[in-house]
Amino acid sequence: MSPWGYLLFTLWSAVLAVLLHGWQLAGLAAVQMAFGWAWSREALRMLRRPRFWIFVLTAVAVGPFLIGEPDLVLGPLRISREGWAVGVEMAGRAFVLTLAFSVGIGALSLSDVVAVFDRVGLRGLGFAVGVAMNLFGTLREMATVTFQTLWLRGGRRRPWLTLRLFLITTVANTLRYGDEVVSAAAMRAFDPTWGGSGALPLRRADLWLLAALAVCTGIFFS
Amino acid sequence: MNRYTVRSWVIIGLFGALWGVVELTLGSYLHVIFPPQANTFLTGVVMGGIGALIALTGRHFVPNQGSVFLIAVVTALIKLLSPGGARLGPFVAILMEGLLMEVALLIAGRPRAWGFALGGALAVGWNFFHKFVMMRLVYGGSVVEVYEKMVKEGSQMLGLDVSAALLILGVLLLVRLIVGGIAGWSAWALGGAVARRLGRRVPSGEEVVR
Repeated sequence: MSPWGYLLFTLWSAVLAVLLHGWQLAGLAAVQMAFGWAWSREALRMLRRPRFWIFVLTAVAVGPFLIGEPDLVLGPLRISREGWAVGVEMAGRAFVLTLAFSVGIGALSLSDVVAVFDRVGLRGLGFAVGVAMNLFGTLREMATVTFQTLWLRGGRRRPWLTLRLFLITTVANTLRYGDEVVSAAAMRAFDPTWGGSGALPLRRADLWLLAALAVCTGIFFS
Repeated sequence: MNRYTVRSWVIIGLFGALWGVVELTLGSYLHVIFPPQANTFLTGVVMGGIGALIALTGRHFVPNQGSVFLIAVVTALIKLLSPGGARLGPFVAILMEGLLMEVALLIAGRPRAWGFALGGALAVGWNFFHKFVMMRLVYGGSVVEVYEKMVKEGSQMLGLDVSAALLILGVLLLVRLIVGGIAGWSAWALGGAVARRLGRRVPSGEEVVR
Protein backbone atom coordinates (compact mmCIF):
# COMPACT_ATOMS: atom_id res chain seq x y z
CA MET A 1 0.00 0.00 0.00
CA SER A 2 1.21 3.52 -0.73
CA PRO A 3 1.52 6.24 1.96
CA TRP A 4 -1.79 7.69 0.65
CA GLY A 5 -3.56 4.56 1.90
CA TYR A 6 -2.13 4.96 5.40
CA LEU A 7 -3.01 8.66 5.48
CA LEU A 8 -6.54 7.91 4.25
CA PHE A 9 -7.01 5.23 6.89
CA THR A 10 -5.79 7.57 9.68
CA LEU A 11 -8.15 10.33 8.60
CA TRP A 12 -11.11 7.96 8.24
CA SER A 13 -10.46 6.33 11.62
CA ALA A 14 -10.01 9.63 13.45
CA VAL A 15 -13.25 11.09 12.03
CA LEU A 16 -15.26 7.95 12.83
CA ALA A 17 -13.73 7.75 16.33
CA VAL A 18 -15.36 11.10 17.06
CA LEU A 19 -18.69 10.39 15.32
CA LEU A 20 -19.43 6.82 16.47
CA HIS A 21 -20.94 5.74 19.79
CA GLY A 22 -21.39 2.60 21.85
CA TRP A 23 -20.93 -0.74 20.11
CA GLN A 24 -20.06 0.98 16.83
CA LEU A 25 -16.70 1.87 18.45
CA ALA A 26 -16.04 -1.84 18.95
CA GLY A 27 -16.75 -2.36 15.25
CA LEU A 28 -14.30 0.41 14.36
CA ALA A 29 -11.67 -1.16 16.64
CA ALA A 30 -12.16 -4.49 14.83
CA VAL A 31 -11.63 -2.79 11.45
CA GLN A 32 -8.47 -1.10 12.77
CA MET A 33 -7.12 -4.37 14.12
CA ALA A 34 -7.72 -6.03 10.76
CA PHE A 35 -5.96 -3.17 8.97
CA GLY A 36 -3.07 -3.32 11.44
CA TRP A 37 -2.77 -7.07 11.05
CA ALA A 38 -2.67 -6.78 7.25
CA TRP A 39 -0.47 -3.71 6.72
CA SER A 40 0.94 -2.40 9.97
CA ARG A 41 1.71 -5.34 12.24
CA GLU A 42 4.60 -3.55 13.96
CA ALA A 43 2.24 -0.82 15.18
CA LEU A 44 0.04 -3.38 16.96
CA ARG A 45 2.91 -3.97 19.40
CA MET A 46 1.55 -0.98 21.23
CA LEU A 47 -1.21 -3.27 22.54
CA ARG A 48 1.40 -5.23 24.53
CA ARG A 49 2.43 -2.19 26.56
CA PRO A 50 0.94 -1.91 30.07
CA ARG A 51 1.18 1.87 29.80
CA PHE A 52 -1.28 1.90 26.88
CA TRP A 53 -3.80 -0.16 28.84
CA ILE A 54 -3.41 2.02 31.94
CA PHE A 55 -4.20 5.03 29.75
CA VAL A 56 -7.25 3.39 28.19
CA LEU A 57 -8.66 1.67 31.26
CA THR A 58 -8.35 4.72 33.52
CA ALA A 59 -11.70 5.89 32.14
CA VAL A 60 -13.36 2.56 32.93
CA ALA A 61 -11.99 2.68 36.47
CA VAL A 62 -12.94 6.29 37.14
CA GLY A 63 -16.32 6.52 35.34
CA PRO A 64 -18.52 4.52 37.80
CA PHE A 65 -17.36 6.70 40.71
CA LEU A 66 -17.44 10.13 39.14
CA ILE A 67 -20.24 10.07 36.56
CA GLY A 68 -23.94 9.78 37.40
CA GLU A 69 -25.61 8.90 40.71
CA PRO A 70 -24.55 5.69 42.51
CA ASP A 71 -27.27 3.06 42.05
CA LEU A 72 -25.39 -0.21 42.59
CA VAL A 73 -23.62 -1.55 45.66
CA LEU A 74 -20.63 -3.87 45.15
CA GLY A 75 -19.30 -4.78 48.61
CA PRO A 76 -17.94 -1.56 50.10
CA LEU A 77 -18.23 0.31 46.78
CA ARG A 78 -21.21 2.32 45.59
CA ILE A 79 -21.03 2.78 41.86
CA SER A 80 -23.11 4.23 39.06
CA ARG A 81 -24.25 2.03 36.20
CA GLU A 82 -24.55 5.07 33.97
CA GLY A 83 -20.98 6.02 34.91
CA TRP A 84 -19.80 2.51 34.09
CA ALA A 85 -21.38 2.66 30.62
CA VAL A 86 -19.97 6.14 29.94
CA GLY A 87 -16.53 5.05 31.21
CA VAL A 88 -16.47 2.05 28.87
CA GLU A 89 -17.42 4.27 25.93
CA MET A 90 -14.70 6.80 26.86
CA ALA A 91 -12.17 3.98 27.01
CA GLY A 92 -13.36 2.69 23.64
CA ARG A 93 -12.97 6.12 22.06
CA ALA A 94 -9.46 6.50 23.51
CA PHE A 95 -8.57 3.04 22.19
CA VAL A 96 -9.70 3.65 18.59
CA LEU A 97 -8.26 7.16 18.41
CA THR A 98 -4.86 6.00 19.64
CA LEU A 99 -4.92 3.00 17.31
CA ALA A 100 -5.96 5.19 14.35
CA PHE A 101 -2.82 7.21 14.75
CA SER A 102 -0.55 4.27 15.46
CA VAL A 103 -1.51 1.89 12.65
CA GLY A 104 -1.98 4.72 10.14
CA ILE A 105 0.53 7.59 10.13
CA GLY A 106 2.73 5.82 12.68
CA ALA A 107 3.46 3.04 10.17
CA LEU A 108 4.98 5.39 7.58
CA SER A 109 8.72 5.28 7.01
CA LEU A 110 11.03 8.28 6.62
CA SER A 111 11.16 7.83 2.84
CA ASP A 112 7.33 7.74 2.74
CA VAL A 113 7.10 11.02 4.64
CA VAL A 114 9.72 12.68 2.43
CA ALA A 115 7.94 11.40 -0.69
CA VAL A 116 4.59 12.77 0.50
CA PHE A 117 6.10 16.20 1.22
CA ASP A 118 7.77 16.13 -2.19
CA ARG A 119 4.49 15.27 -3.88
CA VAL A 120 2.50 18.02 -2.17
CA GLY A 121 5.10 20.66 -3.11
CA LEU A 122 6.92 20.89 0.22
CA ARG A 123 10.24 19.62 -1.06
CA GLY A 124 12.22 21.77 1.38
CA LEU A 125 10.38 20.41 4.40
CA GLY A 126 10.95 16.85 3.22
CA PHE A 127 14.65 17.70 2.84
CA ALA A 128 14.72 19.18 6.37
CA VAL A 129 13.12 16.04 7.82
CA GLY A 130 15.69 13.91 5.97
CA VAL A 131 18.55 16.04 7.33
CA ALA A 132 17.10 15.81 10.84
CA MET A 133 16.68 12.04 10.77
CA ASN A 134 20.11 11.40 9.28
CA LEU A 135 21.99 13.70 11.67
CA PHE A 136 19.92 12.77 14.70
CA GLY A 137 22.44 10.26 16.02
CA THR A 138 25.41 12.55 15.32
CA LEU A 139 23.81 15.43 17.22
CA ARG A 140 22.96 13.19 20.16
CA GLU A 141 26.53 11.93 20.29
CA MET A 142 27.91 15.46 19.99
CA ALA A 143 25.70 16.76 22.84
CA THR A 144 26.67 13.81 25.06
CA VAL A 145 30.39 14.27 24.43
CA THR A 146 30.14 18.03 25.06
CA PHE A 147 28.32 17.46 28.35
CA GLN A 148 30.75 14.81 29.55
CA THR A 149 33.77 16.93 28.65
CA LEU A 150 32.47 19.96 30.51
CA TRP A 151 31.46 17.79 33.48
CA LEU A 152 34.89 16.21 33.72
CA ARG A 153 36.56 19.61 33.55
CA GLY A 154 34.96 20.86 36.75
CA GLY A 155 31.39 21.36 35.60
CA ARG A 156 30.00 20.16 38.89
CA ARG A 157 31.62 23.08 40.75
CA ARG A 158 30.25 25.78 38.41
CA PRO A 159 26.91 24.47 37.16
CA TRP A 160 25.55 27.71 35.65
CA LEU A 161 28.73 28.47 33.71
CA THR A 162 28.82 24.84 32.57
CA LEU A 163 25.21 25.01 31.38
CA ARG A 164 25.94 28.20 29.45
CA LEU A 165 29.05 26.71 27.83
CA PHE A 166 27.14 23.51 27.05
CA LEU A 167 24.37 25.38 25.27
CA ILE A 168 26.73 27.62 23.30
CA THR A 169 28.97 24.70 22.26
CA THR A 170 26.00 22.53 21.28
CA VAL A 171 24.35 25.23 19.16
CA ALA A 172 27.68 26.26 17.58
CA ASN A 173 28.49 22.65 16.68
CA THR A 174 25.00 22.16 15.28
CA LEU A 175 25.54 25.15 12.99
CA ARG A 176 28.94 23.76 11.96
CA TYR A 177 27.27 20.51 10.88
CA GLY A 178 24.78 22.66 9.03
CA ASP A 179 27.57 24.31 7.03
CA GLU A 180 28.84 20.89 5.98
CA VAL A 181 25.37 19.78 4.84
CA VAL A 182 24.87 23.04 2.92
CA SER A 183 28.21 22.53 1.16
CA ALA A 184 27.30 18.95 0.27
CA ALA A 185 23.89 20.07 -1.05
CA ALA A 186 25.50 22.86 -3.07
CA MET A 187 27.95 20.41 -4.67
CA ARG A 188 25.00 18.29 -5.77
CA ALA A 189 23.19 21.41 -7.04
CA PHE A 190 20.23 20.67 -4.80
CA ASP A 191 17.52 23.33 -4.87
CA PRO A 192 14.48 22.93 -2.61
CA THR A 193 12.38 25.21 -4.79
CA TRP A 194 13.13 23.47 -8.03
CA GLY A 195 12.88 19.97 -9.36
CA GLY A 196 10.01 17.76 -10.38
CA SER A 197 7.96 16.27 -7.63
CA GLY A 198 8.55 12.56 -7.33
CA ALA A 199 5.78 10.28 -8.49
CA LEU A 200 3.81 8.68 -5.70
CA PRO A 201 1.04 6.84 -7.51
CA LEU A 202 -1.96 5.19 -5.94
CA ARG A 203 -1.70 1.42 -5.86
CA ARG A 204 -4.37 -1.19 -6.37
CA ALA A 205 -4.42 -1.85 -2.59
CA ASP A 206 -5.26 1.83 -1.96
CA LEU A 207 -8.33 1.55 -4.18
CA TRP A 208 -9.43 -1.64 -2.45
CA LEU A 209 -8.96 0.09 0.88
CA LEU A 210 -11.03 3.05 -0.29
CA ALA A 211 -13.84 0.71 -1.35
CA ALA A 212 -13.66 -1.23 1.93
CA LEU A 213 -13.77 1.97 4.00
CA ALA A 214 -16.78 3.20 2.01
CA VAL A 215 -18.60 -0.08 2.74
CA CYS A 216 -17.68 0.10 6.44
CA THR A 217 -18.89 3.71 6.64
CA GLY A 218 -22.19 2.63 5.09
CA ILE A 219 -22.56 -0.20 7.63
CA PHE A 220 -21.77 2.05 10.60
CA PHE A 221 -24.32 4.68 9.60
CA SER A 222 -27.05 2.38 8.31
CA MET B 1 8.22 29.01 1.34
CA ASN B 2 10.04 30.01 -1.81
CA ARG B 3 12.14 32.48 0.21
CA TYR B 4 13.70 29.67 2.22
CA THR B 5 17.19 28.78 1.03
CA VAL B 6 18.98 25.44 1.31
CA ARG B 7 20.74 26.81 4.40
CA SER B 8 17.39 27.72 5.97
CA TRP B 9 16.03 24.20 5.45
CA VAL B 10 19.23 22.62 6.78
CA ILE B 11 19.14 24.72 9.94
CA ILE B 12 15.42 24.00 10.40
CA GLY B 13 16.22 20.29 10.10
CA LEU B 14 19.11 20.49 12.54
CA PHE B 15 17.28 22.44 15.22
CA GLY B 16 14.31 20.13 14.78
CA ALA B 17 16.69 17.20 15.31
CA LEU B 18 18.19 18.88 18.39
CA TRP B 19 14.72 19.31 19.91
CA GLY B 20 13.99 15.72 18.92
CA VAL B 21 17.14 14.50 20.71
CA VAL B 22 15.90 16.15 23.92
CA GLU B 23 12.37 14.72 23.45
CA LEU B 24 13.63 11.19 22.88
CA THR B 25 16.31 11.10 25.57
CA LEU B 26 15.45 13.41 28.46
CA GLY B 27 11.71 13.16 27.66
CA SER B 28 11.78 9.38 27.86
CA TYR B 29 13.63 9.46 31.20
CA LEU B 30 11.20 11.97 32.67
CA HIS B 31 8.18 9.99 31.47
CA VAL B 32 9.56 6.89 33.16
CA ILE B 33 10.32 8.73 36.41
CA PHE B 34 7.03 10.66 36.38
CA PRO B 35 4.32 8.64 34.57
CA PRO B 36 1.88 10.92 32.71
CA GLN B 37 -1.06 9.79 34.84
CA ALA B 38 0.78 10.82 38.01
CA ASN B 39 2.53 14.03 37.09
CA THR B 40 2.27 16.19 34.03
CA PHE B 41 3.56 19.38 35.62
CA LEU B 42 7.31 18.84 35.96
CA THR B 43 7.72 16.91 32.71
CA GLY B 44 5.70 19.49 30.80
CA VAL B 45 7.59 22.44 32.23
CA VAL B 46 11.04 20.94 31.63
CA MET B 47 10.33 19.60 28.14
CA GLY B 48 8.36 22.66 27.07
CA GLY B 49 11.05 25.02 28.37
CA ILE B 50 13.90 23.23 26.61
CA GLY B 51 11.86 22.87 23.41
CA ALA B 52 11.08 26.59 23.37
CA LEU B 53 14.74 27.41 24.03
CA ILE B 54 15.93 25.31 21.09
CA ALA B 55 13.26 26.36 18.59
CA LEU B 56 13.60 30.06 19.37
CA THR B 57 17.39 29.86 19.18
CA GLY B 58 16.90 28.34 15.73
CA ARG B 59 14.83 31.40 14.78
CA HIS B 60 17.96 33.52 15.28
CA PHE B 61 19.60 31.75 12.36
CA VAL B 62 16.52 31.37 10.14
CA PRO B 63 14.71 34.66 10.67
CA ASN B 64 11.95 33.86 8.14
CA GLN B 65 8.36 33.84 9.27
CA GLY B 66 7.16 30.31 9.97
CA SER B 67 10.60 28.87 10.72
CA VAL B 68 9.83 28.08 14.38
CA PHE B 69 6.67 26.23 13.38
CA LEU B 70 8.63 24.29 10.75
CA ILE B 71 11.22 23.32 13.39
CA ALA B 72 8.31 22.03 15.49
CA VAL B 73 6.95 20.08 12.50
CA VAL B 74 10.34 18.38 12.03
CA THR B 75 10.52 17.53 15.75
CA ALA B 76 6.96 16.17 15.75
CA LEU B 77 7.79 13.96 12.77
CA ILE B 78 10.97 12.69 14.46
CA LYS B 79 8.88 11.81 17.50
CA LEU B 80 6.32 10.14 15.25
CA LEU B 81 8.88 8.12 13.29
CA SER B 82 10.83 7.02 16.35
CA PRO B 83 10.24 3.47 17.62
CA GLY B 84 7.23 3.52 19.93
CA GLY B 85 6.72 7.20 19.29
CA ALA B 86 3.46 7.11 17.33
CA ARG B 87 1.39 8.79 20.01
CA LEU B 88 -1.07 11.56 19.43
CA GLY B 89 -0.36 13.56 22.64
CA PRO B 90 3.29 14.61 22.16
CA PHE B 91 2.70 15.13 18.42
CA VAL B 92 -0.08 17.64 19.06
CA ALA B 93 1.82 19.27 21.96
CA ILE B 94 4.94 19.94 19.89
CA LEU B 95 2.95 21.34 16.96
CA MET B 96 0.89 23.59 19.23
CA GLU B 97 4.00 24.88 20.99
CA GLY B 98 5.55 25.72 17.61
CA LEU B 99 2.37 27.42 16.45
CA LEU B 100 2.08 29.53 19.61
CA MET B 101 5.72 30.62 19.42
CA GLU B 102 5.15 31.60 15.81
CA VAL B 103 2.06 33.62 16.73
CA ALA B 104 4.03 35.48 19.42
CA LEU B 105 6.82 36.28 16.97
CA LEU B 106 4.22 37.48 14.47
CA ILE B 107 2.77 39.81 17.10
CA ALA B 108 6.25 41.12 17.92
CA GLY B 109 6.92 41.88 14.25
CA ARG B 110 10.67 42.45 14.20
CA PRO B 111 12.86 40.00 16.18
CA ARG B 112 12.72 41.36 19.72
CA ALA B 113 13.64 39.93 23.11
CA TRP B 114 10.09 40.36 24.46
CA GLY B 115 8.70 38.56 21.43
CA PHE B 116 10.94 35.59 22.17
CA ALA B 117 9.96 35.69 25.86
CA LEU B 118 6.26 35.86 24.95
CA GLY B 119 6.70 32.96 22.53
CA GLY B 120 8.38 30.85 25.19
CA ALA B 121 5.70 31.72 27.75
CA LEU B 122 2.86 30.78 25.38
CA ALA B 123 4.56 27.55 24.36
CA VAL B 124 5.17 26.31 27.90
CA GLY B 125 1.80 27.70 29.01
CA TRP B 126 0.14 25.43 26.44
CA ASN B 127 1.18 22.45 28.57
CA PHE B 128 -1.37 23.53 31.15
CA PHE B 129 -4.24 23.27 28.66
CA HIS B 130 -2.82 20.34 26.68
CA LYS B 131 -3.92 17.61 29.07
CA PHE B 132 -7.47 19.00 29.23
CA VAL B 133 -7.72 19.42 25.46
CA MET B 134 -6.32 15.96 24.75
CA MET B 135 -8.55 14.31 27.34
CA ARG B 136 -11.58 16.06 25.82
CA LEU B 137 -10.46 14.95 22.37
CA VAL B 138 -9.60 11.38 23.24
CA TYR B 139 -12.20 10.50 25.89
CA GLY B 140 -15.04 12.71 24.62
CA GLY B 141 -17.28 15.27 26.36
CA SER B 142 -17.95 13.14 29.45
CA VAL B 143 -14.47 13.86 30.74
CA VAL B 144 -15.59 17.40 31.63
CA GLU B 145 -18.05 15.93 34.13
CA VAL B 146 -15.23 13.81 35.57
CA TYR B 147 -12.99 16.86 35.99
CA GLU B 148 -15.70 18.91 37.70
CA LYS B 149 -16.41 16.14 40.17
CA MET B 150 -12.69 15.51 40.80
CA VAL B 151 -12.10 19.18 41.66
CA LYS B 152 -15.16 19.23 43.99
CA GLU B 153 -14.32 15.97 45.77
CA GLY B 154 -10.60 16.75 45.89
CA SER B 155 -11.36 20.12 47.50
CA GLN B 156 -13.64 18.46 50.07
CA MET B 157 -11.06 15.80 50.85
CA LEU B 158 -8.32 18.38 51.46
CA GLY B 159 -10.68 20.69 53.33
CA LEU B 160 -10.21 23.45 50.77
CA ASP B 161 -12.70 25.71 49.09
CA VAL B 162 -13.23 25.10 45.34
CA SER B 163 -11.85 28.59 44.70
CA ALA B 164 -8.61 27.51 46.43
CA ALA B 165 -8.33 24.61 43.97
CA LEU B 166 -8.74 27.10 41.13
CA LEU B 167 -6.08 29.28 42.74
CA ILE B 168 -3.69 26.32 42.74
CA LEU B 169 -4.42 25.76 39.05
CA GLY B 170 -3.76 29.47 38.44
CA VAL B 171 -0.40 29.25 40.23
CA LEU B 172 0.55 26.19 38.16
CA LEU B 173 -0.25 28.14 34.97
CA LEU B 174 1.74 31.14 36.20
CA VAL B 175 4.80 29.00 36.94
CA ARG B 176 4.63 27.63 33.40
CA LEU B 177 4.37 31.10 31.90
CA ILE B 178 7.36 32.33 33.92
CA VAL B 179 9.52 29.32 32.99
CA GLY B 180 8.53 29.74 29.33
CA GLY B 181 9.33 33.45 29.45
CA ILE B 182 12.77 32.71 30.88
CA ALA B 183 13.34 30.06 28.19
CA GLY B 184 12.39 32.53 25.45
CA TRP B 185 14.58 35.25 26.89
CA SER B 186 17.47 32.77 27.21
CA ALA B 187 17.00 31.78 23.56
CA TRP B 188 17.39 35.42 22.59
CA ALA B 189 20.62 35.69 24.62
CA LEU B 190 21.93 32.29 23.47
CA GLY B 191 21.35 33.00 19.78
CA GLY B 192 23.15 36.33 20.10
CA ALA B 193 26.06 34.79 22.02
CA VAL B 194 26.55 32.00 19.45
CA ALA B 195 26.27 34.42 16.53
CA ARG B 196 28.94 36.66 18.09
CA ARG B 197 31.29 33.77 18.81
CA LEU B 198 30.95 32.37 15.30
CA GLY B 199 31.27 35.81 13.78
CA ARG B 200 27.84 35.43 12.17
CA ARG B 201 25.73 38.51 11.83
CA VAL B 202 22.15 37.99 12.91
CA PRO B 203 19.91 39.73 10.34
CA SER B 204 18.13 42.80 11.64
CA GLY B 205 14.37 43.10 11.60
CA GLU B 206 14.28 45.10 8.36
CA GLU B 207 16.22 42.40 6.56
CA VAL B 208 14.00 39.58 7.69
CA VAL B 209 12.27 37.82 4.83
CA ARG B 210 8.50 37.81 5.36
